[in-house]
Amino acid sequence: MKKSYDVVIIGGGIIGCSVAFELAKRGRKDVLVVEQEYLTSGATGRCGAGIRQQWGSMLNATLALESTHVFENLEEYTGYDGDCGLNQGGYLLIAYTEKEWEQFQKNLEIQHQVGINSHAVPLDCIKEIVPHINTDGIQGACFCASDGHADPFHCTYAYAKGAQGMGVEIVTYTKVTGLKVENGRIRGVATTRGDIEAKVVINATGGHAAQMAMLAGDELPIFPERHQILITEPVAHIMNPMVMSFHRHFYVQQTPHGSVIMGMGDPNEPVSLNTKASWQYLEHNAWVVTQTLPAFRNLRVVRQWAGHYDMSPDRNPIINEAKSAEGFITIAGFSGHGFMVAPRTAILVSNYLTGQQDSLDISRFSVERYKTGELLLEPSVV
Amino acid sequence: MRIDEHPVLSFERGEKINFFYNGQEIEAYPTETIAAALHAAGVRKLGESPELHRPRGLFCAIGNCSSCFMIVDGEPNMRVCVMKVRSGMRVEEQRGKGVVGI
Repeated sequence: MKKSYDVVIIGGGIIGCSVAFELAKRGRKDVLVVEQEYLTSGATGRCGAGIRQQWGSMLNATLALESTHVFENLEEYTGYDGDCGLNQGGYLLIAYTEKEWEQFQKNLEIQHQVGINSHAVPLDCIKEIVPHINTDGIQGACFCASDGHADPFHCTYAYAKGAQGMGVEIVTYTKVTGLKVENGRIRGVATTRGDIEAKVVINATGGHAAQMAMLAGDELPIFPERHQILITEPVAHIMNPMVMSFHRHFYVQQTPHGSVIMGMGDPNEPVSLNTKASWQYLEHNAWVVTQTLPAFRNLRVVRQWAGHYDMSPDRNPIINEAKSAEGFITIAGFSGHGFMVAPRTAILVSNYLTGQQDSLDISRFSVERYKTGELLLEPSVV
Repeated sequence: MRIDEHPVLSFERGEKINFFYNGQEIEAYPTETIAAALHAAGVRKLGESPELHRPRGLFCAIGNCSSCFMIVDGEPNMRVCVMKVRSGMRVEEQRGKGVVGI
Protein backbone atom coordinates (compact mmCIF):
# COMPACT_ATOMS: atom_id res chain seq x y z
CA MET A 1 0.00 0.00 0.00
CA LYS A 2 1.35 3.37 -1.06
CA LYS A 3 0.80 6.77 0.58
CA SER A 4 -1.03 8.23 -2.38
CA TYR A 5 -3.40 7.03 -5.11
CA ASP A 6 -5.29 8.52 -7.98
CA VAL A 7 -8.55 6.89 -6.86
CA VAL A 8 -9.49 5.31 -3.53
CA ILE A 9 -12.61 3.15 -3.49
CA ILE A 10 -14.18 2.46 -0.11
CA GLY A 11 -15.99 -0.86 -0.07
CA GLY A 12 -15.02 -4.27 -1.47
CA GLY A 13 -18.41 -5.44 -2.68
CA ILE A 14 -19.65 -5.89 -6.21
CA ILE A 15 -19.91 -2.12 -6.72
CA GLY A 16 -16.44 -1.25 -5.41
CA CYS A 17 -14.73 -4.08 -7.29
CA SER A 18 -16.58 -3.55 -10.58
CA VAL A 19 -15.84 0.19 -10.53
CA ALA A 20 -12.15 -0.58 -9.82
CA PHE A 21 -12.10 -2.96 -12.79
CA GLU A 22 -13.83 -0.59 -15.20
CA LEU A 23 -11.60 2.33 -14.15
CA ALA A 24 -8.46 0.26 -14.70
CA LYS A 25 -9.80 -0.88 -18.06
CA ARG A 26 -10.11 2.77 -19.04
CA GLY A 27 -6.52 3.53 -18.02
CA ARG A 28 -7.02 4.82 -14.47
CA LYS A 29 -5.01 2.06 -12.85
CA ASP A 30 -3.62 3.86 -9.81
CA VAL A 31 -6.57 2.65 -7.75
CA LEU A 32 -6.86 1.31 -4.20
CA VAL A 33 -9.89 -0.58 -2.91
CA VAL A 34 -10.24 -0.39 0.89
CA GLU A 35 -12.46 -3.03 2.48
CA GLN A 36 -13.19 -3.07 6.22
CA GLU A 37 -13.48 -6.87 6.39
CA TYR A 38 -13.08 -9.20 3.40
CA LEU A 39 -14.36 -8.87 -0.17
CA THR A 40 -18.14 -9.51 -0.32
CA SER A 41 -18.44 -9.30 3.50
CA GLY A 42 -21.26 -6.76 3.31
CA ALA A 43 -24.48 -6.83 1.31
CA THR A 44 -22.96 -8.50 -1.78
CA GLY A 45 -22.10 -11.74 -0.01
CA ARG A 46 -25.49 -11.82 1.71
CA CYS A 47 -27.69 -11.09 -1.26
CA GLY A 48 -30.08 -13.27 -3.24
CA ALA A 49 -27.94 -12.63 -6.33
CA GLY A 50 -30.87 -12.46 -8.70
CA ILE A 51 -30.40 -10.95 -12.15
CA ARG A 52 -33.71 -9.53 -13.30
CA GLN A 53 -34.48 -7.50 -16.39
CA GLN A 54 -38.23 -7.32 -15.77
CA TRP A 55 -38.34 -3.77 -14.46
CA GLY A 56 -41.04 -1.15 -14.62
CA SER A 57 -38.94 1.89 -15.52
CA MET A 58 -36.96 2.44 -18.68
CA LEU A 59 -33.84 3.30 -16.74
CA ASN A 60 -33.80 0.17 -14.58
CA ALA A 61 -34.74 -2.05 -17.50
CA THR A 62 -31.81 -0.62 -19.52
CA LEU A 63 -29.36 -0.93 -16.63
CA ALA A 64 -30.43 -4.53 -16.00
CA LEU A 65 -30.46 -5.56 -19.68
CA GLU A 66 -26.98 -4.22 -20.33
CA SER A 67 -25.69 -5.64 -17.03
CA THR A 68 -27.06 -9.06 -17.97
CA HIS A 69 -25.03 -8.96 -21.17
CA VAL A 70 -21.90 -8.41 -19.06
CA PHE A 71 -22.83 -11.21 -16.63
CA GLU A 72 -23.27 -13.56 -19.60
CA ASN A 73 -19.57 -13.22 -20.42
CA LEU A 74 -18.13 -12.11 -17.10
CA GLU A 75 -15.39 -14.76 -16.91
CA GLU A 76 -14.05 -13.87 -20.35
CA TYR A 77 -14.63 -10.15 -19.76
CA THR A 78 -12.53 -10.11 -16.58
CA GLY A 79 -10.13 -12.96 -17.43
CA TYR A 80 -11.37 -14.98 -14.46
CA ASP A 81 -10.46 -18.68 -14.32
CA GLY A 82 -13.38 -19.63 -12.07
CA ASP A 83 -17.07 -20.07 -12.81
CA CYS A 84 -19.33 -17.13 -11.91
CA GLY A 85 -22.27 -19.52 -11.55
CA LEU A 86 -24.61 -17.73 -13.91
CA ASN A 87 -27.82 -19.70 -14.29
CA GLN A 88 -30.24 -18.12 -16.74
CA GLY A 89 -33.27 -20.10 -15.72
CA GLY A 90 -35.51 -17.07 -16.03
CA TYR A 91 -37.59 -15.12 -13.55
CA LEU A 92 -41.23 -15.99 -13.01
CA LEU A 93 -43.00 -12.97 -11.54
CA ILE A 94 -46.40 -13.84 -10.13
CA ALA A 95 -49.19 -11.34 -9.51
CA TYR A 96 -51.64 -11.94 -6.68
CA THR A 97 -53.76 -8.82 -7.16
CA GLU A 98 -55.53 -7.26 -10.14
CA LYS A 99 -53.58 -4.05 -9.64
CA GLU A 100 -50.28 -5.89 -9.67
CA TRP A 101 -51.25 -7.72 -12.84
CA GLU A 102 -52.15 -4.44 -14.57
CA GLN A 103 -48.76 -3.05 -13.53
CA PHE A 104 -47.01 -6.12 -14.95
CA GLN A 105 -48.64 -5.52 -18.32
CA LYS A 106 -47.47 -1.89 -18.33
CA ASN A 107 -44.00 -3.07 -17.34
CA LEU A 108 -43.92 -5.52 -20.25
CA GLU A 109 -44.47 -2.65 -22.69
CA ILE A 110 -41.49 -0.78 -21.26
CA GLN A 111 -39.35 -3.93 -21.29
CA HIS A 112 -40.22 -4.59 -24.93
CA GLN A 113 -39.25 -1.03 -25.89
CA VAL A 114 -35.80 -1.63 -24.42
CA GLY A 115 -35.51 -5.02 -26.11
CA ILE A 116 -36.05 -7.41 -23.22
CA ASN A 117 -37.54 -10.75 -24.24
CA SER A 118 -40.10 -10.97 -21.43
CA HIS A 119 -43.67 -12.15 -21.93
CA ALA A 120 -46.93 -12.71 -20.11
CA VAL A 121 -47.66 -16.30 -19.14
CA PRO A 122 -51.26 -17.54 -19.45
CA LEU A 123 -52.50 -18.98 -16.17
CA ASP A 124 -52.77 -22.51 -17.54
CA CYS A 125 -49.15 -22.37 -18.74
CA ILE A 126 -47.54 -21.36 -15.44
CA LYS A 127 -47.09 -25.00 -14.47
CA GLU A 128 -45.11 -25.58 -17.66
CA ILE A 129 -42.47 -23.22 -16.28
CA VAL A 130 -42.65 -24.29 -12.61
CA PRO A 131 -44.53 -27.62 -12.45
CA HIS A 132 -44.84 -27.70 -8.66
CA ILE A 133 -46.25 -24.19 -8.15
CA ASN A 134 -49.58 -23.72 -6.39
CA THR A 135 -51.54 -21.45 -8.71
CA ASP A 136 -54.29 -20.61 -6.19
CA GLY A 137 -54.86 -16.88 -6.09
CA ILE A 138 -52.46 -16.08 -8.93
CA GLN A 139 -53.92 -13.43 -11.25
CA GLY A 140 -51.21 -13.54 -13.84
CA ALA A 141 -47.51 -14.09 -14.38
CA CYS A 142 -44.61 -12.81 -16.44
CA PHE A 143 -41.51 -14.64 -17.51
CA CYS A 144 -38.16 -13.61 -18.94
CA ALA A 145 -36.01 -16.56 -19.93
CA SER A 146 -32.69 -14.70 -19.85
CA ASP A 147 -33.13 -13.54 -16.25
CA GLY A 148 -31.48 -15.67 -13.63
CA HIS A 149 -28.98 -15.64 -10.83
CA ALA A 150 -25.22 -15.81 -10.40
CA ASP A 151 -22.73 -16.48 -7.64
CA PRO A 152 -22.10 -13.12 -5.93
CA PHE A 153 -18.76 -14.25 -4.48
CA HIS A 154 -17.30 -15.41 -7.78
CA CYS A 155 -18.64 -12.37 -9.63
CA THR A 156 -16.98 -10.01 -7.14
CA TYR A 157 -13.74 -11.99 -7.23
CA ALA A 158 -13.79 -11.97 -11.05
CA TYR A 159 -13.90 -8.18 -11.01
CA ALA A 160 -11.36 -7.93 -8.16
CA LYS A 161 -8.85 -10.26 -9.79
CA GLY A 162 -9.33 -8.64 -13.18
CA ALA A 163 -8.67 -5.26 -11.59
CA GLN A 164 -5.61 -6.52 -9.71
CA GLY A 165 -4.24 -7.92 -12.96
CA MET A 166 -4.28 -4.38 -14.35
CA GLY A 167 -2.51 -2.90 -11.31
CA VAL A 168 -5.33 -2.09 -8.90
CA GLU A 169 -4.48 -2.70 -5.24
CA ILE A 170 -6.95 -4.13 -2.75
CA VAL A 171 -6.52 -3.99 1.02
CA THR A 172 -8.84 -5.90 3.34
CA TYR A 173 -9.47 -5.62 7.09
CA THR A 174 -8.78 -1.90 6.80
CA LYS A 175 -11.42 0.52 7.94
CA VAL A 176 -11.82 4.06 6.69
CA THR A 177 -12.13 6.23 9.79
CA GLY A 178 -12.16 9.68 8.23
CA LEU A 179 -12.20 11.68 5.02
CA LYS A 180 -9.84 14.55 4.37
CA VAL A 181 -11.50 17.53 2.68
CA GLU A 182 -9.67 20.80 1.90
CA ASN A 183 -11.13 23.86 0.17
CA GLY A 184 -14.19 21.93 -0.95
CA ARG A 185 -12.15 19.11 -2.50
CA ILE A 186 -11.50 15.59 -1.30
CA ARG A 187 -7.82 15.03 -0.50
CA GLY A 188 -7.74 11.54 0.89
CA VAL A 189 -8.90 9.09 3.51
CA ALA A 190 -7.80 8.21 7.03
CA THR A 191 -7.71 4.47 7.65
CA THR A 192 -6.79 2.09 10.45
CA ARG A 193 -3.57 1.55 8.49
CA GLY A 194 -2.70 5.21 8.14
CA ASP A 195 -3.66 8.14 5.93
CA ILE A 196 -3.86 7.82 2.17
CA GLU A 197 -3.99 10.71 -0.28
CA ALA A 198 -6.36 10.52 -3.23
CA LYS A 199 -7.67 12.74 -6.00
CA VAL A 200 -10.96 10.89 -6.18
CA VAL A 201 -12.67 8.91 -3.42
CA ILE A 202 -15.56 6.60 -4.21
CA ASN A 203 -18.01 5.66 -1.50
CA ALA A 204 -19.33 2.19 -2.32
CA THR A 205 -20.26 1.21 1.21
CA GLY A 206 -23.90 0.19 0.72
CA GLY A 207 -25.85 0.55 3.95
CA HIS A 208 -23.00 2.53 5.50
CA ALA A 209 -22.95 5.07 2.66
CA ALA A 210 -24.79 7.86 4.48
CA GLN A 211 -22.52 7.56 7.53
CA MET A 212 -19.46 7.59 5.30
CA ALA A 213 -20.68 10.60 3.30
CA MET A 214 -21.29 12.52 6.53
CA LEU A 215 -17.52 12.35 7.15
CA ALA A 216 -17.18 14.58 4.09
CA GLY A 217 -20.07 16.82 5.17
CA ASP A 218 -22.41 15.34 2.56
CA GLU A 219 -25.90 14.49 3.69
CA LEU A 220 -27.49 11.64 1.71
CA PRO A 221 -30.93 10.06 2.09
CA ILE A 222 -29.62 6.48 2.16
CA PHE A 223 -30.59 4.27 5.04
CA PRO A 224 -29.84 0.63 5.85
CA GLU A 225 -32.71 -1.82 6.14
CA ARG A 226 -32.28 -5.39 7.32
CA HIS A 227 -33.42 -8.12 4.96
CA GLN A 228 -33.30 -11.78 5.85
CA ILE A 229 -32.70 -14.86 3.78
CA LEU A 230 -32.27 -18.59 4.27
CA ILE A 231 -30.85 -21.61 2.47
CA THR A 232 -31.95 -25.24 2.58
CA GLU A 233 -30.18 -28.54 2.17
CA PRO A 234 -29.39 -29.41 -1.46
CA VAL A 235 -31.86 -31.60 -3.34
CA ALA A 236 -32.14 -32.67 -6.97
CA HIS A 237 -33.02 -29.80 -9.31
CA ILE A 238 -36.74 -29.22 -9.68
CA MET A 239 -36.89 -25.47 -10.25
CA ASN A 240 -34.97 -23.55 -12.86
CA PRO A 241 -36.39 -20.02 -12.63
CA MET A 242 -36.36 -17.58 -9.77
CA VAL A 243 -39.95 -17.28 -8.52
CA MET A 244 -40.90 -13.89 -7.16
CA SER A 245 -43.96 -12.17 -5.74
CA PHE A 246 -44.09 -8.48 -4.93
CA HIS A 247 -47.40 -8.84 -3.15
CA ARG A 248 -46.08 -11.54 -0.81
CA HIS A 249 -42.60 -9.94 -0.76
CA PHE A 250 -40.62 -13.11 -1.50
CA TYR A 251 -38.15 -14.52 -3.98
CA VAL A 252 -37.04 -18.14 -4.27
CA GLN A 253 -34.34 -19.76 -6.36
CA GLN A 254 -32.65 -23.13 -6.49
CA THR A 255 -28.87 -22.82 -6.85
CA PRO A 256 -26.98 -25.01 -9.34
CA HIS A 257 -25.82 -27.00 -6.29
CA GLY A 258 -29.46 -27.81 -5.42
CA SER A 259 -29.93 -25.70 -2.29
CA VAL A 260 -33.03 -23.53 -2.26
CA ILE A 261 -32.41 -19.89 -1.35
CA MET A 262 -35.42 -17.88 -0.26
CA GLY A 263 -35.62 -14.31 0.93
CA MET A 264 -38.34 -11.98 2.06
CA GLY A 265 -38.83 -8.32 2.71
CA ASP A 266 -40.69 -7.09 5.76
CA PRO A 267 -42.62 -3.85 5.09
CA ASN A 268 -42.38 -2.97 8.81
CA GLU A 269 -38.63 -3.45 9.12
CA PRO A 270 -37.12 -0.45 10.96
CA VAL A 271 -34.05 1.43 9.76
CA SER A 272 -31.04 -0.13 11.44
CA LEU A 273 -27.61 -1.65 10.93
CA ASN A 274 -28.83 -4.82 12.64
CA THR A 275 -27.63 -7.96 10.85
CA LYS A 276 -29.04 -10.52 13.25
CA ALA A 277 -31.32 -13.26 11.97
CA SER A 278 -34.62 -13.77 13.78
CA TRP A 279 -36.61 -16.95 14.50
CA GLN A 280 -39.82 -15.14 13.59
CA TYR A 281 -38.48 -14.68 10.10
CA LEU A 282 -37.66 -18.36 9.73
CA GLU A 283 -41.21 -19.43 10.55
CA HIS A 284 -42.87 -16.68 8.56
CA ASN A 285 -40.76 -17.09 5.44
CA ALA A 286 -41.14 -20.86 5.45
CA TRP A 287 -44.91 -20.54 5.79
CA VAL A 288 -45.36 -17.91 3.06
CA VAL A 289 -43.08 -19.56 0.52
CA THR A 290 -44.52 -23.05 0.97
CA GLN A 291 -48.00 -21.66 0.29
CA THR A 292 -46.82 -20.96 -3.25
CA LEU A 293 -44.23 -23.72 -3.56
CA PRO A 294 -45.49 -26.61 -1.40
CA ALA A 295 -42.88 -29.03 -2.78
CA PHE A 296 -40.31 -27.35 -0.53
CA ARG A 297 -42.30 -27.93 2.68
CA ASN A 298 -40.15 -30.79 3.98
CA LEU A 299 -36.74 -29.31 3.16
CA ARG A 300 -34.47 -28.69 6.09
CA VAL A 301 -33.06 -25.20 6.51
CA VAL A 302 -29.31 -25.28 6.99
CA ARG A 303 -28.52 -21.61 7.38
CA GLN A 304 -30.22 -18.26 7.82
CA TRP A 305 -28.70 -14.80 7.74
CA ALA A 306 -29.41 -11.12 7.27
CA GLY A 307 -27.91 -8.25 5.31
CA HIS A 308 -28.66 -4.66 4.43
CA TYR A 309 -30.53 -3.13 1.60
CA ASP A 310 -29.15 0.38 1.08
CA MET A 311 -32.50 2.09 0.68
CA SER A 312 -33.09 5.41 -1.04
CA PRO A 313 -36.36 7.40 -0.98
CA ASP A 314 -37.37 6.37 -4.53
CA ARG A 315 -35.84 2.87 -4.27
CA ASN A 316 -33.22 3.62 -6.90
CA PRO A 317 -29.48 4.18 -6.88
CA ILE A 318 -27.85 7.44 -5.93
CA ILE A 319 -24.70 8.29 -7.84
CA ASN A 320 -23.66 11.64 -6.51
CA GLU A 321 -20.59 13.84 -6.31
CA ALA A 322 -20.63 15.69 -2.99
CA LYS A 323 -21.14 19.46 -3.21
CA SER A 324 -19.11 19.85 -0.01
CA ALA A 325 -16.22 17.74 -1.33
CA GLU A 326 -15.51 17.69 -5.05
CA GLY A 327 -14.12 14.32 -6.12
CA PHE A 328 -16.04 12.40 -3.46
CA ILE A 329 -18.55 10.22 -5.26
CA THR A 330 -21.13 8.06 -3.57
CA ILE A 331 -22.53 5.05 -5.44
CA ALA A 332 -25.18 3.53 -3.19
CA GLY A 333 -28.87 3.42 -2.43
CA PHE A 334 -29.51 0.49 -4.73
CA SER A 335 -32.42 -0.62 -2.53
CA GLY A 336 -31.94 -4.33 -3.03
CA HIS A 337 -31.06 -4.46 -6.71
CA GLY A 338 -27.41 -3.40 -6.68
CA PHE A 339 -25.90 -6.73 -7.63
CA MET A 340 -27.88 -7.13 -10.85
CA VAL A 341 -27.13 -3.61 -12.15
CA ALA A 342 -23.53 -3.38 -10.90
CA PRO A 343 -21.80 -4.13 -14.23
CA ARG A 344 -23.56 -1.35 -16.12
CA THR A 345 -23.40 1.08 -13.18
CA ALA A 346 -19.64 0.58 -12.99
CA ILE A 347 -19.33 1.32 -16.71
CA LEU A 348 -21.43 4.47 -16.30
CA VAL A 349 -19.38 5.78 -13.37
CA SER A 350 -16.05 4.93 -15.00
CA ASN A 351 -17.06 6.62 -18.25
CA TYR A 352 -17.90 9.71 -16.21
CA LEU A 353 -14.62 9.63 -14.30
CA THR A 354 -12.54 9.19 -17.45
CA GLY A 355 -14.43 11.80 -19.44
CA GLN A 356 -15.96 9.36 -21.89
CA GLN A 357 -19.43 9.49 -23.36
CA ASP A 358 -22.19 7.25 -22.13
CA SER A 359 -25.65 6.59 -23.52
CA LEU A 360 -27.09 7.05 -20.02
CA ASP A 361 -27.15 10.41 -18.28
CA ILE A 362 -25.37 10.04 -14.93
CA SER A 363 -26.87 13.27 -13.58
CA ARG A 364 -30.29 11.60 -13.38
CA PHE A 365 -28.94 9.56 -10.45
CA SER A 366 -27.80 12.54 -8.37
CA VAL A 367 -29.55 13.54 -5.14
CA GLU A 368 -30.71 16.69 -6.90
CA ARG A 369 -33.68 14.64 -8.07
CA TYR A 370 -35.19 14.77 -4.60
CA LYS A 371 -35.24 18.58 -4.81
CA THR A 372 -36.41 18.89 -8.40
CA GLY A 373 -38.93 16.06 -8.04
CA GLU A 374 -37.57 14.14 -11.03
CA LEU A 375 -37.65 10.91 -9.09
CA LEU A 376 -36.67 7.58 -10.60
CA LEU A 377 -39.92 5.87 -9.75
CA GLU A 378 -39.86 2.11 -9.91
CA PRO A 379 -43.08 0.16 -9.35
CA SER A 380 -41.48 -3.29 -9.09
CA VAL A 381 -39.27 -3.67 -6.02
CA VAL A 382 -39.37 -6.46 -3.43
CA MET B 1 -23.96 -57.88 14.61
CA ARG B 2 -25.60 -56.85 17.85
CA ILE B 3 -24.06 -56.55 21.31
CA ASP B 4 -25.90 -58.96 23.58
CA GLU B 5 -23.93 -58.61 26.79
CA HIS B 6 -22.47 -55.43 28.17
CA PRO B 7 -20.91 -54.79 31.64
CA VAL B 8 -22.94 -51.58 32.18
CA LEU B 9 -25.84 -51.43 29.72
CA SER B 10 -28.76 -53.77 29.54
CA PHE B 11 -30.80 -54.28 26.40
CA GLU B 12 -34.55 -54.50 26.37
CA ARG B 13 -35.09 -54.88 22.68
CA GLY B 14 -38.72 -55.90 22.61
CA GLU B 15 -40.46 -58.02 20.00
CA LYS B 16 -38.96 -58.36 16.54
CA ILE B 17 -40.54 -56.45 13.68
CA ASN B 18 -40.01 -56.41 9.92
CA PHE B 19 -39.19 -53.52 7.58
CA PHE B 20 -38.11 -53.26 3.97
CA TYR B 21 -34.65 -52.39 2.66
CA ASN B 22 -34.69 -51.85 -1.14
CA GLY B 23 -37.81 -53.99 -1.21
CA GLN B 24 -36.23 -56.84 0.76
CA GLU B 25 -37.73 -57.75 4.13
CA ILE B 26 -35.37 -57.35 7.11
CA GLU B 27 -35.83 -58.15 10.80
CA ALA B 28 -35.26 -55.46 13.41
CA TYR B 29 -36.10 -54.45 16.96
CA PRO B 30 -38.36 -51.41 17.41
CA THR B 31 -35.88 -49.89 19.88
CA GLU B 32 -33.17 -49.65 17.22
CA THR B 33 -32.38 -46.95 14.70
CA ILE B 34 -32.71 -47.83 11.01
CA ALA B 35 -28.92 -47.65 10.71
CA ALA B 36 -28.44 -50.10 13.60
CA ALA B 37 -30.91 -52.56 12.11
CA LEU B 38 -29.27 -52.35 8.67
CA HIS B 39 -25.83 -52.75 10.24
CA ALA B 40 -27.01 -55.85 12.12
CA ALA B 41 -28.30 -57.22 8.83
CA GLY B 42 -24.87 -56.71 7.25
CA VAL B 43 -25.74 -53.67 5.13
CA ARG B 44 -22.74 -51.32 5.05
CA LYS B 45 -23.43 -49.15 2.01
CA LEU B 46 -26.34 -46.83 2.73
CA GLY B 47 -26.18 -44.52 -0.28
CA GLU B 48 -24.06 -42.84 -2.91
CA SER B 49 -22.36 -39.44 -2.86
CA PRO B 50 -24.04 -36.69 -4.92
CA GLU B 51 -21.22 -35.80 -7.30
CA LEU B 52 -19.00 -38.85 -7.85
CA HIS B 53 -21.47 -41.54 -6.76
CA ARG B 54 -19.05 -43.11 -4.31
CA PRO B 55 -20.47 -45.42 -1.64
CA ARG B 56 -21.55 -43.76 1.59
CA GLY B 57 -22.12 -45.47 4.93
CA LEU B 58 -22.46 -44.80 8.62
CA PHE B 59 -20.04 -42.08 9.68
CA CYS B 60 -20.90 -39.82 12.63
CA ALA B 61 -23.86 -41.92 13.86
CA ILE B 62 -25.27 -38.93 15.79
CA GLY B 63 -27.23 -37.08 13.11
CA ASN B 64 -24.64 -34.45 12.20
CA CYS B 65 -22.83 -35.47 9.05
CA SER B 66 -25.43 -36.36 6.39
CA SER B 67 -23.45 -39.46 5.36
CA CYS B 68 -26.35 -41.84 6.11
CA PHE B 69 -29.05 -40.09 4.03
CA MET B 70 -31.60 -42.61 2.77
CA ILE B 71 -35.11 -42.51 1.34
CA VAL B 72 -37.59 -43.48 4.06
CA ASP B 73 -41.20 -44.04 3.02
CA GLY B 74 -40.57 -41.93 -0.08
CA GLU B 75 -39.01 -39.02 1.81
CA PRO B 76 -35.38 -38.32 0.78
CA ASN B 77 -32.47 -37.09 2.91
CA MET B 78 -33.50 -38.97 6.07
CA ARG B 79 -30.75 -39.40 8.65
CA VAL B 80 -31.22 -43.08 9.40
CA CYS B 81 -28.62 -43.06 12.20
CA VAL B 82 -31.01 -41.13 14.45
CA MET B 83 -34.33 -42.41 13.13
CA LYS B 84 -36.08 -45.31 14.86
CA VAL B 85 -37.17 -48.21 12.72
CA ARG B 86 -40.89 -49.02 12.50
CA SER B 87 -42.78 -52.05 11.32
CA GLY B 88 -43.44 -52.02 7.58
CA MET B 89 -41.18 -49.01 6.95
CA ARG B 90 -39.75 -48.77 3.43
CA VAL B 91 -36.10 -47.79 3.42
CA GLU B 92 -34.27 -47.28 0.14
CA GLU B 93 -30.74 -46.48 -0.86
CA GLN B 94 -30.37 -42.84 -1.99
CA ARG B 95 -28.20 -42.40 -5.05
CA GLY B 96 -27.07 -38.80 -5.12
CA LYS B 97 -29.19 -35.81 -4.17
CA GLY B 98 -32.63 -36.42 -2.76
CA VAL B 99 -35.55 -36.01 -5.11
CA VAL B 100 -38.35 -33.93 -3.65
CA GLY B 101 -41.83 -35.18 -4.55
CA ILE B 102 -43.89 -32.73 -6.59
